[in-house]
Amino acid sequence: MFKNTNPTVVSETKYIAFVTVILSILLQSVFLIIGMWNYKVLLGNIYSGFFVILNFYLMGMSVAKAVDKDEKEARNVMKTSMSLRGLMLFAAVAVGVLIPLFDIFAVLIPLFFVRIAVFLRPFIKKEITEKGEKNE
Amino acid sequence: MLEIAVGIILGCCALGAGAAMIAGIGPGIGEGNAVAKACEAIGRQPECKGDVTTTMLMGCAIAETTGLYALVIAILLIFVAPGRFIDILLSVMK
Repeated sequence: MFKNTNPTVVSETKYIAFVTVILSILLQSVFLIIGMWNYKVLLGNIYSGFFVILNFYLMGMSVAKAVDKDEKEARNVMKTSMSLRGLMLFAAVAVGVLIPLFDIFAVLIPLFFVRIAVFLRPFIKKEITEKGEKNE
Repeated sequence: MLEIAVGIILGCCALGAGAAMIAGIGPGIGEGNAVAKACEAIGRQPECKGDVTTTMLMGCAIAETTGLYALVIAILLIFVAPGRFIDILLSVMK
């Protein structure tokens, strides 16, 4: 699946997916601790987490596609991509909110995991690099 | 009277959701500008393509979260708020 994809996009998507999984586990634990956990929370979290990772991957693909074009064309590619991904997320989240199979908060909260992942990136990458140096 | 009140609630929620989605314009323009500048940078120094792409990806992800805040507010105003407001209205009228 990732054969023709830019390796930078694949590695960053893997990182975002990793942090999303960690934060999802954390979210489930918080719901468990406050006594609000049920299967709806788990399903909502999985559903929303999938779309968060897909959105980041599609953004990466359009960025990789845009950098090979000229300035004006790149700008248009990103604007189009942003609009289409926005529509996709709107439809996905609307379905998640409307279907009673998913918990609303468990659907909405994972949308912000990407920002947290980017915020944590310098610390996590630093730790990975230090571990690699120790192993060497 | 109740119908008018419900209509006003639904109208205000829709207007609020529309106003919130104005924030969705910004990230699109911002990402476009960031990528355009990155193209310029890669054109000047093609050997930095990997680093520029990584930094830009993270920047785009940050820029996009602003749009996501607006999206969440709009979705709450469209699908969740009207029901809650109408419940409050009905309980006040009783």
